[in-house]
Amino acid sequence: MRRDPLAHALIRTVPLLLLGMLWQAASSAGLINTAFLPSPATISVALADLLGGGEIGRNIFITLFRAGTGLLLGAVCGIWLGLMMARSLKFRAWVTPIVGGTYSLPKSALIPLFALWFGIGSLTAICAVYLACLLPMTVNTFQGVVSTPKVLTWSAQALGTSERQMLSRIYLRHALPDIFTGLRIALGFSFVLAISSEMIASSSGIGKLVFFYGENGAYDYMFAAIACVIAVAFLCDRAMLAVSGWCLRWHESAANARTA
Amino acid sequence: MRDLIRPKIELRQVAKTYATDRAAVLALRNTDLAVADGEFVSIVGPSGCGKSTLIYIVGGFLPAEGEVLVDGRAITGPGTGRGVVFQEYALFPWLTVRGNIAYGLDRQGVPAVQRNQTVERLIGVIGLQGFEDRFPRELSGGMKQRVAIARTLACEPAILLLDEPFGALDALTREIMQDELLRLWLESRKTVLMVTHDVTEAVYLSNRICVMSARPGRLVEEFRVELDRTKPREEIFLSDAFNRVRNQVWLSVRKQALAAESKNAP
Amino acid sequence: MTARPHEEGVKAAGLRLRSLASVMLLLVIWESAARSQLAPPVLLPAFTVVAAELGRIIADGSLASDLALSLYRAFTGLALAGACGILLGMLMARSRVVHWLIDPLVAIGFPSPKIAFLPVFILWFGIESLSKILLVAFACVFPVIIGTYSAARAVHRVLVWSAFSLGTTQHALLTRVILPACYPRIFATLRIALPVALITTFTAEMVAGGGGMGATLVYSQRFFESPTVFAYILVMLGIGLLLDAAVHAFARRYLAWAEE
Repeated sequence: MRRDPLAHALIRTVPLLLLGMLWQAASSAGLINTAFLPSPATISVALADLLGGGEIGRNIFITLFRAGTGLLLGAVCGIWLGLMMARSLKFRAWVTPIVGGTYSLPKSALIPLFALWFGIGSLTAICAVYLACLLPMTVNTFQGVVSTPKVLTWSAQALGTSERQMLSRIYLRHALPDIFTGLRIALGFSFVLAISSEMIASSSGIGKLVFFYGENGAYDYMFAAIACVIAVAFLCDRAMLAVSGWCLRWHESAANARTA
Repeated sequence: MRDLIRPKIELRQVAKTYATDRAAVLALRNTDLAVADGEFVSIVGPSGCGKSTLIYIVGGFLPAEGEVLVDGRAITGPGTGRGVVFQEYALFPWLTVRGNIAYGLDRQGVPAVQRNQTVERLIGVIGLQGFEDRFPRELSGGMKQRVAIARTLACEPAILLLDEPFGALDALTREIMQDELLRLWLESRKTVLMVTHDVTEAVYLSNRICVMSARPGRLVEEFRVELDRTKPREEIFLSDAFNRVRNQVWLSVRKQALAAESKNAP
Repeated sequence: MTARPHEEGVKAAGLRLRSLASVMLLLVIWESAARSQLAPPVLLPAFTVVAAELGRIIADGSLASDLALSLYRAFTGLALAGACGILLGMLMARSRVVHWLIDPLVAIGFPSPKIAFLPVFILWFGIESLSKILLVAFACVFPVIIGTYSAARAVHRVLVWSAFSLGTTQHALLTRVILPACYPRIFATLRIALPVALITTFTAEMVAGGGGMGATLVYSQRFFESPTVFAYILVMLGIGLLLDAAVHAFARRYLAWAEE
């Protein structure tokens, strides 16, 4: 009896459907104050309206643009930094204290600073996301490269790999699982920082939109917008898992790729 | 010849089936085994034949078909009367050597004074004086297994179940530990059921060896070993009697292993 | 241990010296950049000016009260997340039904940016401490659940079997065996959750006000009081470093038995 992945995925949604039904029933029975928590039905209506108009699509796109740009830049720089730190002891010696220091700083604390410097446009958000993604990418790349077993590199050298090829063919390949772990973490950060920026200092984006609805008392729209955020974040995470699963299909842990 | 004395451990038509994602896997076929009080029985066989499964069943960790009787009564689960020593990962990493050895006594509510006495004595028995307050992660493989044995002995079980106890150790340490185990057994004459992949070890330590076939496992052959174990290892290993039995057992196991290979061959 | 104690001490001292050197270098660059008026003082105040401001807010107690409030919120939320998360994680590991019920919620909750829920928490619990504590708890509970669950599942069956053979009852198994075996993993998870708690607290304060470090930071930014902005960021950095060191010391003292 082979486990059907589709059936398995569907079974996993059942508790959510049960919860939704419970929520709706409690709402209709008057057990929940709908001023504070609208019923799923009301939220669905608002959601349909949002999706029909262009409002939410446009704002989600803006947020994704900010998060994605920051993530891409942070990933590229982070991988390069991690590589350099792993390959050059001198570089590592100078950079490690700085890297360690920034780990302790909550990156969202820099949002007001960036707002001070760059105003309330996208640059603030992209900078915040970039810095937040830089650290996990650097640390994970470093870890992945530095943990390459000597027997692997020696075998490669004995088989005629040039110094330049070592980097791309051996070290980066070995670090790929760690890099993807870092990417998944950075993806989460990118969303958090983008939305935080929008809530603190922006005039657009889904974070701002959620807040706008909240401030104006349109709570069903607010919940609908939050539902969109959750959905987008979830789908992006799944997409990342799928991509990394495909890229890492050679890895020992590939059998576990389906979990969470 | 029917033995009128009741066996210490008795397995009657014991079988074990695992249900996996793909199909039901028969790990152990109808197995009968009787172990007399004070016997040292080893079970040998090719990898994956189910010998560990058998010992887990006797330990009460896995449910199975058939009957498992200890002192004539069916077992209902794990118990302090059947001490177990596993290959590795069994020591509680958050407890010191002392803490590990005292664990069973603590569970039984033995008063502190008596508990400490027993622990001190056992530490002396296994020769780890000076290491009482170390954590398992600070110990070598051999030392860890000594602690595992002491921890089991603390509860004074009548039966010892050993699942490849020295399988994770290097060859030299293994020899030392085998001699330790032999010494302990000769002193206490507990009933021992051991699983090992090392035929030489089985012949050296046990007075009866059961050979298991490849999966699904079944006990196919039995050998009695009569050696004067008070003699030193060197004498035993170089004796004709030892080597004769060892060759017989080795051939038997090899036959089972080759049968498994040809079954798997395309 | 391959390095002799003397070598270890020298290496550690060397690392600290290099960290100090990196920091000194950064401060010098900062000060000279500010002095040479590369940017208007409102965007880049000199380090000395920031230090003076820092001294002022320490002296008049405003920093202390802000810090106390923020840390109170962060730690209360974290404690709540810890208690609930460990409980839920253990229950999920123990009961397949509980796992089936909770797992989809965790799978959706984990990748979503919890900060997006801030307006909901404000709606329900106001802008004072309660909403922030609960938001922090909400943000931190997911990694704790996942970490506890995976730790409990990873307990080797041989450990559990040995415990049974030594007379452990089913009831005692949880407290005497499973829980201690999970301590290192749970601690590592809480260690990761700590910065999340801080970030969530600061961000919530920045967005919604209601006192605390984040509120003052944003307030200063809106009024272009840049020395205060910089001072607060430095304090947040300092707190992060201090807490990380404290956590490190705790682990060394109480989790010395854990195998890496």
